[in-house]
Amino acid sequence: MHEVSIALGMVEELKRIAAENNAKKVTNVKLKIGKMSGIVTDSLIFAFDAVKLEHPLLSSATISVDEVPLVYACSKCGKAFETDDLYPASCPDCNSYNLKILSGEEQHIENVEVEV
Amino acid sequence: MCDVCGCHEHNHRETRTIDVNQSLLKANEEAAAGNRKHFDEDGALAINIISSPGSGKTTLLEKTIDLLKNEISIGVLEGDIETDLDAERIRKKGVPAVQLTTGGACHLDSVLVHKGLHMLERSLNGNRLDVLFIENVGNLVCPSFFDLGEHIRVVLISVPEGHDKPLKYPKAIKTSQALIISKSDLAPYFDFDMGKIKKDALSINPSLKIIVASAKTGEGIDDWVDYIKGLLNTETLRR
Repeated sequence: MHEVSIALGMVEELKRIAAENNAKKVTNVKLKIGKMSGIVTDSLIFAFDAVKLEHPLLSSATISVDEVPLVYACSKCGKAFETDDLYPASCPDCNSYNLKILSGEEQHIENVEVEV
Repeated sequence: MCDVCGCHEHNHRETRTIDVNQSLLKANEEAAAGNRKHFDEDGALAINIISSPGSGKTTLLEKTIDLLKNEISIGVLEGDIETDLDAERIRKKGVPAVQLTTGGACHLDSVLVHKGLHMLERSLNGNRLDVLFIENVGNLVCPSFFDLGEHIRVVLISVPEGHDKPLKYPKAIKTSQALIISKSDLAPYFDFDMGKIKKDALSINPSLKIIVASAKTGEGIDDWVDYIKGLLNTETLRR
């Protein structure tokens, strides 16, 4: 349900970005969402599609998502590996649980496409 | 008519892609950084307590206040969707408390905490705080996404909730520094595997401090209080 808060925050940021760039309309928002960001992409799009309607500038904006894979680096032996198992992950080489996340926690607005 | 070239054939639309590359939670992150700076300047330790509804956050706070209020100065921000029942309970213990009602949102955010902090300061009459407890809205999912600017995040999982919760709510475990397994006095009445919950929690977060506690019997409460005192003596509070 935090996706609604995130969508509302997005609306404010997009309005600011559109105003700064004298945009007439926002047409697309490209997001970068890591596999382990904890953001449910479908829920975020659902929430955004609901809240955008109150803002003419955003009402036809679509969302596209770049999903970033989860990559860990083992703090013990240094091995980097990609995995689909979010938790609990252990190093395939030395079984250590002491892992550092290299990528997969991203929750970014990458770019915004506007009509000027 | 096309307002770019004056023709009648088409509408020119100029589109442009603006590189943004900023966090989706930017507004929250900025306000959280502001809160953290505020806590650091005041020398106050900020502890964000998260859990499901009914895990015993407020009861743990009441016990903690009883044991610590003569030694250190404590303030509490109470997060709830509605009512100021919890702030009332805390005030009865003799420490200042501000109720933050989110009006529906399932978590506190750093902007609301910032407002609460200023409200709390008004009731302090110029005295400083050693510890600020922020009791989050009861929810094991969403609060883990919102940095409030706290130094320490503590998650409670009570025995009746079951030992499988760390694996089901990993983000709460991953982003916390301490786990309190609360209502430990009820363990004999539930099929609760204490070894498994600890093992699972540590596999998600190897540096997690785990305390088994009961506000009813007092088990583990001293460990919890010592943990807070230890943090107060630590120079580096930052996560």
